[in-house]
Amino acid sequence: DALLGCHRSYRSRPTHGIGRFRYLLPKELPKRRKEKVQMKEIDTGTEYQYGDVNIQMTSYDLCLVEHFAQYVHRLCNRLSIQVNESYAMPTKTNEVLFLEERGSKMQLDAVLTTHQRVVQIRGLSSTFAPILLEVIQSNQPEGVHLLVKQHTEADFKSRLKSRPELEELLAQMS
Amino acid sequence: PCRAQPKKKKKVDVKKEQAQKERMKKKIKKLEKAAPELIPIEDFITPLKYSESNRVRSLPALSPEESERRVLLLKKWCLFKQKQDEAEKKAIRALVESQQEALKELRLESEELYQAAIKRDERLFPFERDGPSYTPPLPGYDAPEGKCVDITKVYTQ
Repeated sequence: DALLGCHRSYRSRPTHGIGRFRYLLPKELPKRRKEKVQMKEIDTGTEYQYGDVNIQMTSYDLCLVEHFAQYVHRLCNRLSIQVNESYAMPTKTNEVLFLEERGSKMQLDAVLTTHQRVVQIRGLSSTFAPILLEVIQSNQPEGVHLLVKQHTEADFKSRLKSRPELEELLAQMS
Repeated sequence: PCRAQPKKKKKVDVKKEQAQKERMKKKIKKLEKAAPELIPIEDFITPLKYSESNRVRSLPALSPEESERRVLLLKKWCLFKQKQDEAEKKAIRALVESQQEALKELRLESEELYQAAIKRDERLFPFERDGPSYTPPLPGYDAPEGKCVDITKVYTQ
Protein backbone atom coordinates (compact mmCIF):
# COMPACT_ATOMS: atom_id res chain seq x y z
CA ASP A 1 0.00 0.00 0.00
CA ALA A 2 2.75 2.42 0.90
CA LEU A 3 4.44 1.77 -2.45
CA LEU A 4 1.23 2.31 -4.44
CA GLY A 5 0.22 5.37 -2.43
CA CYS A 6 3.40 7.46 -2.81
CA HIS A 7 3.77 9.79 -5.83
CA ARG A 8 7.52 10.35 -5.66
CA SER A 9 9.24 10.17 -8.99
CA TYR A 10 12.67 8.59 -8.68
CA ARG A 11 14.49 10.73 -11.23
CA SER A 12 17.66 8.67 -11.18
CA ARG A 13 15.86 5.41 -11.84
CA PRO A 14 14.92 4.25 -15.32
CA THR A 15 11.28 4.00 -14.19
CA HIS A 16 10.99 7.79 -13.91
CA GLY A 17 7.75 9.11 -15.37
CA ILE A 18 6.32 5.65 -15.74
CA GLY A 19 2.68 6.64 -15.24
CA ARG A 20 2.60 9.55 -17.77
CA PHE A 21 -0.22 9.46 -20.27
CA ARG A 22 -1.44 13.09 -20.71
CA TYR A 23 1.10 13.64 -23.48
CA LEU A 24 -0.50 10.90 -25.55
CA LEU A 25 -4.00 12.39 -25.59
CA PRO A 26 -5.03 14.79 -28.44
CA LYS A 27 -4.36 18.47 -27.72
CA GLU A 28 -7.37 20.18 -26.15
CA LEU A 29 -7.86 23.73 -27.43
CA PRO A 30 -8.53 26.28 -24.69
CA LYS A 31 -12.22 27.21 -24.45
CA ARG A 32 -12.91 30.41 -26.35
CA ARG A 33 -14.87 33.00 -24.50
CA LYS A 34 -17.48 34.93 -26.47
CA GLU A 35 -15.57 37.26 -28.77
CA LYS A 36 -16.65 40.83 -28.32
CA VAL A 37 -18.16 42.39 -31.41
CA GLN A 38 -15.62 45.01 -32.35
CA MET A 39 -15.51 47.09 -35.46
CA LYS A 40 -12.65 46.13 -37.73
CA GLU A 41 -10.58 48.97 -39.12
CA ILE A 42 -12.09 50.42 -42.24
CA ASP A 43 -9.66 50.58 -45.13
CA THR A 44 -9.98 53.69 -47.25
CA GLY A 45 -7.80 52.45 -50.08
CA THR A 46 -5.12 54.13 -52.11
CA GLU A 47 -5.42 56.07 -55.37
CA TYR A 48 -5.45 52.94 -57.49
CA GLN A 49 -7.43 50.69 -55.15
CA TYR A 50 -10.83 50.98 -53.56
CA GLY A 51 -10.85 50.18 -49.83
CA ASP A 52 -13.70 48.31 -48.14
CA VAL A 53 -16.62 48.01 -50.54
CA ASN A 54 -20.07 46.69 -49.58
CA ILE A 55 -22.19 44.86 -52.14
CA GLN A 56 -25.71 44.90 -50.70
CA MET A 57 -28.46 42.77 -52.23
CA THR A 58 -32.06 43.40 -51.17
CA SER A 59 -35.18 41.53 -52.13
CA TYR A 60 -38.53 40.19 -50.92
CA ASP A 61 -37.50 36.67 -51.97
CA LEU A 62 -35.19 34.98 -49.44
CA CYS A 63 -33.90 32.07 -51.57
CA LEU A 64 -33.01 34.28 -54.54
CA VAL A 65 -31.09 36.72 -52.41
CA GLU A 66 -29.22 33.96 -50.57
CA HIS A 67 -28.23 32.21 -53.76
CA PHE A 68 -27.18 35.44 -55.43
CA ALA A 69 -25.03 36.33 -52.40
CA GLN A 70 -23.40 32.90 -52.57
CA TYR A 71 -22.77 33.37 -56.28
CA VAL A 72 -21.15 36.78 -55.73
CA HIS A 73 -18.98 35.37 -52.93
CA ARG A 74 -17.79 32.48 -55.10
CA LEU A 75 -17.15 34.83 -58.01
CA CYS A 76 -14.93 37.00 -55.82
CA ASN A 77 -13.08 33.89 -54.60
CA ARG A 78 -12.52 32.79 -58.18
CA LEU A 79 -11.27 36.23 -59.24
CA SER A 80 -8.96 36.30 -56.16
CA ILE A 81 -10.59 39.37 -54.61
CA GLN A 82 -10.25 39.39 -50.84
CA VAL A 83 -13.63 39.00 -49.14
CA ASN A 84 -13.64 40.44 -45.61
CA GLU A 85 -17.11 39.39 -44.51
CA SER A 86 -20.32 38.03 -45.91
CA TYR A 87 -23.21 38.69 -43.56
CA ALA A 88 -26.95 39.23 -43.45
CA MET A 89 -28.67 42.40 -42.35
CA PRO A 90 -31.76 42.08 -40.10
CA THR A 91 -35.00 41.44 -42.00
CA LYS A 92 -37.61 44.18 -42.25
CA THR A 93 -41.30 43.32 -42.14
CA ASN A 94 -43.86 45.54 -43.86
CA GLU A 95 -47.62 45.35 -43.61
CA VAL A 96 -49.34 46.54 -46.76
CA LEU A 97 -52.82 47.95 -46.15
CA PHE A 98 -55.13 49.26 -48.82
CA LEU A 99 -58.29 51.32 -48.66
CA GLU A 100 -61.44 49.39 -49.60
CA GLU A 101 -63.49 50.72 -52.49
CA ARG A 102 -66.62 51.17 -50.39
CA GLY A 103 -65.99 52.26 -46.86
CA SER A 104 -63.19 53.88 -45.01
CA LYS A 105 -61.62 50.83 -43.39
CA MET A 106 -58.05 49.87 -44.27
CA GLN A 107 -57.83 46.23 -45.19
CA LEU A 108 -54.78 44.08 -44.75
CA ASP A 109 -53.42 43.05 -48.13
CA ALA A 110 -50.14 41.29 -47.38
CA VAL A 111 -47.20 41.01 -45.01
CA LEU A 112 -43.92 41.39 -46.89
CA THR A 113 -40.46 40.58 -45.51
CA THR A 114 -37.43 42.35 -47.02
CA HIS A 115 -34.17 40.44 -46.82
CA GLN A 116 -30.72 41.89 -47.30
CA ARG A 117 -27.33 40.23 -47.73
CA VAL A 118 -23.97 42.01 -47.74
CA VAL A 119 -20.65 40.89 -49.22
CA GLN A 120 -17.73 43.03 -48.12
CA ILE A 121 -14.62 43.07 -50.31
CA ARG A 122 -11.26 44.75 -50.05
CA GLY A 123 -8.55 45.66 -52.46
CA LEU A 124 -10.57 46.08 -55.64
CA SER A 125 -8.32 47.62 -58.28
CA SER A 126 -9.65 50.60 -60.22
CA THR A 127 -9.26 48.90 -63.62
CA PHE A 128 -11.10 45.75 -62.55
CA ALA A 129 -14.04 47.38 -60.78
CA PRO A 130 -16.12 48.12 -63.90
CA ILE A 131 -15.62 44.55 -65.15
CA LEU A 132 -16.80 43.10 -61.86
CA LEU A 133 -19.83 45.38 -61.85
CA GLU A 134 -20.70 44.29 -65.41
CA VAL A 135 -20.52 40.62 -64.49
CA ILE A 136 -22.66 41.06 -61.37
CA GLN A 137 -25.22 43.13 -63.26
CA SER A 138 -25.55 40.63 -66.08
CA ASN A 139 -26.30 37.87 -63.56
CA GLN A 140 -28.68 39.89 -61.43
CA PRO A 141 -31.87 37.88 -60.82
CA GLU A 142 -35.39 39.32 -60.96
CA GLY A 143 -36.54 41.46 -58.10
CA VAL A 144 -33.10 41.71 -56.48
CA HIS A 145 -31.99 45.28 -55.89
CA LEU A 146 -28.24 45.77 -56.02
CA LEU A 147 -26.37 48.50 -54.16
CA VAL A 148 -22.58 48.88 -54.21
CA LYS A 149 -21.07 51.46 -51.86
CA GLN A 150 -18.09 52.05 -49.63
CA HIS A 151 -18.12 50.75 -46.10
CA THR A 152 -18.64 53.30 -43.34
CA GLU A 153 -18.91 53.17 -39.57
CA ALA A 154 -22.62 53.97 -39.80
CA ASP A 155 -23.12 50.80 -41.83
CA PHE A 156 -21.52 48.77 -39.06
CA LYS A 157 -23.46 50.53 -36.33
CA SER A 158 -26.77 49.76 -38.04
CA ARG A 159 -26.18 46.06 -37.38
CA LEU A 160 -25.92 46.55 -33.60
CA LYS A 161 -28.74 46.70 -31.09
CA SER A 162 -29.75 50.13 -29.92
CA ARG A 163 -29.05 51.04 -26.27
CA PRO A 164 -31.64 53.62 -25.24
CA GLU A 165 -30.54 53.74 -21.57
CA LEU A 166 -26.95 54.52 -22.42
CA GLU A 167 -27.99 57.17 -24.89
CA GLU A 168 -30.34 58.75 -22.36
CA LEU A 169 -27.62 58.92 -19.72
CA LEU A 170 -25.11 60.36 -22.17
CA ALA A 171 -27.64 63.00 -23.21
CA GLN A 172 -28.23 63.86 -19.57
CA MET A 173 -24.53 64.17 -18.88
CA SER A 174 -23.81 66.62 -21.67
CA PRO B 1 -27.92 86.18 11.61
CA CYS B 2 -29.48 84.58 8.44
CA ARG B 3 -26.21 83.65 6.85
CA ALA B 4 -25.84 80.13 8.15
CA GLN B 5 -28.90 78.57 6.50
CA PRO B 6 -28.37 79.72 2.88
CA LYS B 7 -24.77 78.56 3.06
CA LYS B 8 -25.83 75.11 4.20
CA LYS B 9 -28.26 74.84 1.31
CA LYS B 10 -25.52 75.63 -1.17
CA LYS B 11 -23.13 73.04 0.25
CA VAL B 12 -25.73 70.29 0.36
CA ASP B 13 -26.85 71.04 -3.18
CA VAL B 14 -23.36 70.93 -4.57
CA LYS B 15 -22.62 67.68 -2.77
CA LYS B 16 -25.86 66.12 -3.96
CA GLU B 17 -25.15 67.18 -7.51
CA GLN B 18 -21.68 65.74 -7.35
CA ALA B 19 -22.98 62.49 -5.92
CA GLN B 20 -25.60 62.28 -8.66
CA LYS B 21 -23.01 62.90 -11.34
CA GLU B 22 -20.77 60.21 -9.94
CA ARG B 23 -23.64 57.75 -9.83
CA MET B 24 -24.50 58.52 -13.45
CA LYS B 25 -20.85 58.10 -14.46
CA LYS B 26 -20.72 54.74 -12.73
CA LYS B 27 -23.89 53.63 -14.51
CA ILE B 28 -22.50 54.74 -17.84
CA LYS B 29 -19.26 52.85 -17.19
CA LYS B 30 -21.18 49.73 -16.31
CA LEU B 31 -23.32 49.93 -19.44
CA GLU B 32 -20.33 50.67 -21.61
CA LYS B 33 -18.50 47.63 -20.27
CA ALA B 34 -21.09 45.32 -21.81
CA ALA B 35 -20.12 44.79 -25.45
CA PRO B 36 -22.63 45.83 -28.12
CA GLU B 37 -24.58 42.91 -29.54
CA LEU B 38 -25.56 42.19 -33.12
CA ILE B 39 -29.26 42.18 -33.91
CA PRO B 40 -30.40 38.53 -34.28
CA ILE B 41 -31.45 37.72 -37.81
CA GLU B 42 -34.89 36.14 -38.09
CA ASP B 43 -33.99 34.37 -41.35
CA PHE B 44 -31.68 31.95 -39.60
CA ILE B 45 -34.06 30.93 -36.82
CA THR B 46 -36.48 28.24 -37.98
CA PRO B 47 -39.89 28.76 -36.37
CA LEU B 48 -40.88 26.01 -33.98
CA LYS B 49 -43.95 24.93 -35.88
CA TYR B 50 -41.78 23.43 -38.64
CA SER B 51 -39.76 21.25 -36.29
CA GLU B 52 -42.58 20.00 -34.05
CA SER B 53 -44.84 18.29 -36.59
CA ASN B 54 -44.59 14.53 -37.00
CA ARG B 55 -46.10 14.19 -40.43
CA VAL B 56 -43.70 12.93 -43.06
CA ARG B 57 -44.31 13.02 -46.78
CA SER B 58 -43.97 9.66 -48.52
CA LEU B 59 -42.85 9.96 -52.11
CA PRO B 60 -44.17 7.59 -54.77
CA ALA B 61 -41.78 4.99 -56.16
CA LEU B 62 -40.16 5.93 -59.47
CA SER B 63 -40.16 3.60 -62.44
CA PRO B 64 -36.72 2.79 -63.92
CA GLU B 65 -37.54 4.67 -67.15
CA GLU B 66 -38.47 7.74 -65.16
CA SER B 67 -35.27 7.65 -63.10
CA GLU B 68 -33.21 7.08 -66.30
CA ARG B 69 -34.87 10.07 -67.89
CA ARG B 70 -34.15 12.20 -64.85
CA VAL B 71 -30.50 11.21 -64.65
CA LEU B 72 -29.97 11.95 -68.35
CA LEU B 73 -31.71 15.31 -67.95
CA LEU B 74 -29.46 16.12 -65.00
CA LYS B 75 -26.39 15.32 -67.07
CA LYS B 76 -27.58 17.52 -69.92
CA TRP B 77 -28.25 20.35 -67.47
CA CYS B 78 -24.76 19.95 -65.96
CA LEU B 79 -23.21 20.16 -69.42
CA PHE B 80 -25.25 23.24 -70.30
CA LYS B 81 -24.30 24.98 -67.07
CA GLN B 82 -20.64 24.10 -67.58
CA LYS B 83 -20.69 25.60 -71.09
CA GLN B 84 -22.36 28.72 -69.69
CA ASP B 85 -19.75 29.04 -66.96
CA GLU B 86 -16.89 28.53 -69.41
CA ALA B 87 -18.32 31.22 -71.68
CA GLU B 88 -18.52 33.61 -68.73
CA LYS B 89 -14.93 32.95 -67.69
CA LYS B 90 -13.79 33.40 -71.28
CA ALA B 91 -15.64 36.70 -71.52
CA ILE B 92 -14.04 37.97 -68.31
CA ARG B 93 -10.58 36.97 -69.51
CA ALA B 94 -11.18 38.66 -72.87
CA LEU B 95 -12.34 41.85 -71.16
CA VAL B 96 -9.30 41.97 -68.88
CA GLU B 97 -6.89 41.27 -71.77
CA SER B 98 -8.37 43.91 -74.02
CA GLN B 99 -8.31 46.40 -71.15
CA GLN B 100 -4.63 45.70 -70.48
CA GLU B 101 -3.79 46.06 -74.18
CA ALA B 102 -5.64 49.35 -74.41
CA LEU B 103 -3.81 50.65 -71.33
CA LYS B 104 -0.46 49.59 -72.82
CA GLU B 105 -1.19 51.46 -76.03
CA LEU B 106 -2.32 54.49 -74.03
CA ARG B 107 0.91 54.40 -72.07
CA LEU B 108 2.89 54.47 -75.29
CA GLU B 109 0.82 57.41 -76.46
CA SER B 110 1.04 59.64 -73.37
CA GLU B 111 2.07 58.97 -69.77
CA GLU B 112 -0.26 61.62 -68.31
CA LEU B 113 -3.42 60.14 -69.78
CA TYR B 114 -2.35 56.69 -68.62
CA GLN B 115 -1.90 57.87 -65.04
CA ALA B 116 -5.26 59.63 -65.11
CA ALA B 117 -6.96 56.51 -66.51
CA ILE B 118 -5.51 54.24 -63.81
CA LYS B 119 -6.82 56.40 -60.97
CA ARG B 120 -9.97 55.29 -59.20
CA ASP B 121 -13.31 56.76 -60.13
CA GLU B 122 -14.95 58.59 -57.22
CA ARG B 123 -18.30 58.83 -58.97
CA LEU B 124 -18.60 55.05 -59.34
CA PHE B 125 -19.83 54.49 -55.77
CA PRO B 126 -22.56 54.40 -54.60
CA PHE B 127 -23.91 52.33 -57.48
CA GLU B 128 -27.54 51.26 -57.50
CA ARG B 129 -29.48 49.08 -59.91
CA ASP B 130 -32.88 47.45 -59.74
CA GLY B 131 -33.11 43.90 -61.00
CA PRO B 132 -35.19 43.09 -64.10
CA SER B 133 -38.83 42.35 -63.31
CA TYR B 134 -41.24 39.79 -64.74
CA THR B 135 -44.10 42.28 -64.55
CA PRO B 136 -42.94 45.88 -64.97
CA PRO B 137 -45.40 48.53 -63.73
CA LEU B 138 -48.21 49.26 -66.20
CA PRO B 139 -48.25 52.86 -67.46
CA GLY B 140 -51.96 53.67 -66.98
CA TYR B 141 -52.69 51.66 -63.85
CA ASP B 142 -54.72 53.31 -61.08
CA ALA B 143 -53.63 51.65 -57.85
CA PRO B 144 -55.97 51.62 -54.80
CA GLU B 145 -54.95 53.91 -52.01
CA GLY B 146 -53.17 52.39 -49.09
CA LYS B 147 -50.17 52.57 -46.87
CA CYS B 148 -47.18 50.55 -45.73
CA VAL B 149 -46.65 49.97 -42.05
CA ASP B 150 -43.24 48.92 -40.78
CA ILE B 151 -43.67 46.26 -38.12
CA THR B 152 -40.05 45.16 -37.68
CA LYS B 153 -39.28 44.07 -34.16
CA VAL B 154 -36.95 46.56 -32.46
CA TYR B 155 -34.28 44.95 -30.30
CA THR B 156 -32.77 46.90 -27.43
CA GLN B 157 -29.87 45.93 -25.26
